[in-house]
Amino acid sequence: MSVFLDILSILLFPGFAFVIVLALIYEWIDRKFYAKLQNRMGPTYTGPAGVLQPFADLIKLLAKEDITPMAADRPFFSITPVVALALMLTGVLIIPIGGASGLLSFHGDVIVAVALMTLLAIVLFLSGLFSVNRFSIIGAERAVLQLLGYEIPLMLAVLGVALGAGSLTLAEIAGSTKAWYLFGPQVIGFAIYIVAAQAELERVPFDIPEAEQEIVAGWQTEYSGRKLALFRLTRDVELVYISGLAAALFLGGAGPVLEGIHPWMQTLLSTLLFVVKTVIILLILSTIRALFARLRIDQMVDFSWKYLVPISLLQMVLVRLVI
Amino acid sequence: MAFSTFEVPVGPQHPALKEPENFTFTVDGEHVVGVKLRIGYNHRGIEKAAESRTYIQNLYLMERICGICSVAHTTTYAQNVEYALGKEIPRRAEYYRVIIYELNRIHSHLLWLGVAGHEIGFDTLFMYVWRDRERVMDILEMLTGNRVTYAINTIGGVRRDITPEMADKVRKSMDLVEQRVTYYKKAAAAEPTLLTRVKGVGILRTEDARRLCAVGPTTRASGVKFDVRAEDPYAAYDEVPFNLVSYDLCDVLSRILVRVDETLESARIVKYCLDHMPSGPVRVKLPRTVPPGESVSRTEAPRGEVIHYLRANGTDKPERYKVRSPTLGNLPSVCEMLTSKGDYVVRIADIPIALASIDPCFSCTDRAAHFVDPSRGKEWSWTFEQIRKYARKD
Repeated sequence: MSVFLDILSILLFPGFAFVIVLALIYEWIDRKFYAKLQNRMGPTYTGPAGVLQPFADLIKLLAKEDITPMAADRPFFSITPVVALALMLTGVLIIPIGGASGLLSFHGDVIVAVALMTLLAIVLFLSGLFSVNRFSIIGAERAVLQLLGYEIPLMLAVLGVALGAGSLTLAEIAGSTKAWYLFGPQVIGFAIYIVAAQAELERVPFDIPEAEQEIVAGWQTEYSGRKLALFRLTRDVELVYISGLAAALFLGGAGPVLEGIHPWMQTLLSTLLFVVKTVIILLILSTIRALFARLRIDQMVDFSWKYLVPISLLQMVLVRLVI
Repeated sequence: MAFSTFEVPVGPQHPALKEPENFTFTVDGEHVVGVKLRIGYNHRGIEKAAESRTYIQNLYLMERICGICSVAHTTTYAQNVEYALGKEIPRRAEYYRVIIYELNRIHSHLLWLGVAGHEIGFDTLFMYVWRDRERVMDILEMLTGNRVTYAINTIGGVRRDITPEMADKVRKSMDLVEQRVTYYKKAAAAEPTLLTRVKGVGILRTEDARRLCAVGPTTRASGVKFDVRAEDPYAAYDEVPFNLVSYDLCDVLSRILVRVDETLESARIVKYCLDHMPSGPVRVKLPRTVPPGESVSRTEAPRGEVIHYLRANGTDKPERYKVRSPTLGNLPSVCEMLTSKGDYVVRIADIPIALASIDPCFSCTDRAAHFVDPSRGKEWSWTFEQIRKYARKD
């Protein structure tokens, strides 16, 4: 019975089905908010205020013709979208969504969480490389260069939080986070995390690996139909994953956990808190997207090694001194 | 070497270009080491078509050379025919031509500013500017009846007059344009990511701009003070006071500043013209046939100098008509901007904005009626019917 419940919770709530629906709704929030900032309307036709647009896009794309270029390395070209989505769906199991801890919680899951992001970037690089297209290869090169830029600051920011909490378990970090941390010792770490997350998600000003005007669609140029749909879904799930991780690390996860209320009520409350916290982070990410122009890859790497890395080292020292 | 460099085709279909043209870049990682240009994808046989149409019909053909600076071509054409006829048009019509011409410049420059933002991934700027541009489009629609191809010029003047109520609306909109453009200028100067993307990018030094005969805002952004409106005043420009905008930073930022300042200047010119328009008719009847002879007319379109040449043979159709649009004049310069030399390195990311910085309009450019096949050393020319037949083949 308990095994059956476990499988159900992985597949339905707070597992894959819930996360995918949430991811598509987040895409809608992102698009709508971004549009408002740009003096536009955003999606309007599908569903109330266009909320079903991302679902419609996904279904349409799944049904479209799927072309594999003759020059591409067929097995790898086909497998990378699946691997990418699998990585992100694995990731969300670690994130505390419906309670104090995620479905998977073990010592050192913070490291796994960060490693999954790096793995995803490498999978995207490979997908570009195996497409054997000039634009894809340039995009793939850029994706890796960008990874070199943001990975270290991201890890240092996460490590700073772990250092403050004295734990490498997300649930414990989330449980020990106090409200004043975000406005005190963790404020720099949070800022660095947001910047690095923007780079990981390949959004303006760091949408360099898929810069439309320069290299068509970067590493995903050759992808179409189902494979492209999977990549797009991966991006949306990643949005939930990254904002969920930020919520767990900096905003106390799905907490607080209240004593003496019914477990179902607690699950409901936690889920609600998770959604509120992640949407706040999502709106910050969308605002950044509307504010800037795209940087060049050399400027991006310069920026992260000249400013982000030293600041994140400073942050570590600060955390050690204060907490 | 074969492994370290490879060729990246930009065009004929590419997201950075809205029109078909081919640039082949040789790149080494992110660095551009070579550029080859190929034009001729959008040939429409307009010059040849002009020879088989009457002077009045040609007005509408010239309007369609370029979608954005449509009024530039009709003004140049109508002027050219008027020169050939040796006739003057009413002063009020000349003022009116200036008003439409400058409104067209404002809409073209705002469009360009939005596109420039889009090319560096700054879509917010694109959306904001294009919404403001709508105001100018509405004004043009009110004045002429059309948003894009205005069909306002005719041989002997303009086809409609402006009423005082219309003039008030135009004045109001010009105030708004001035206010918004001033805001963008301030906002752009305070936006670090935008500045890093345009400063020191797409360098065209002053001597290169002169040597390669760059025109329009491109040459003025390289410190060359050249503007047909000042050099060789046409229509009412001899009476309209305006500042010749020029910057000498020689990069894309300089081109942005030139266009932004010109937009402000244009708004002032429009207001001046509305206030100082003489009364009288806006049109005179001119004969339909042009006596044998040649004439040349030039104007300063939003993108640069437009030159039209006419050879008339005494009938109601031109014997030869030649159009030199500004993009053709700027193509050698854009190749220069995209060539790395010394400390100046061009990166793949700079390609779209450097290309866009001349405000290219490739459909204006491809117009030749003479064909050359360099591989076989063959040269020939076709009639309009033959071109049409060739286009319909397969």
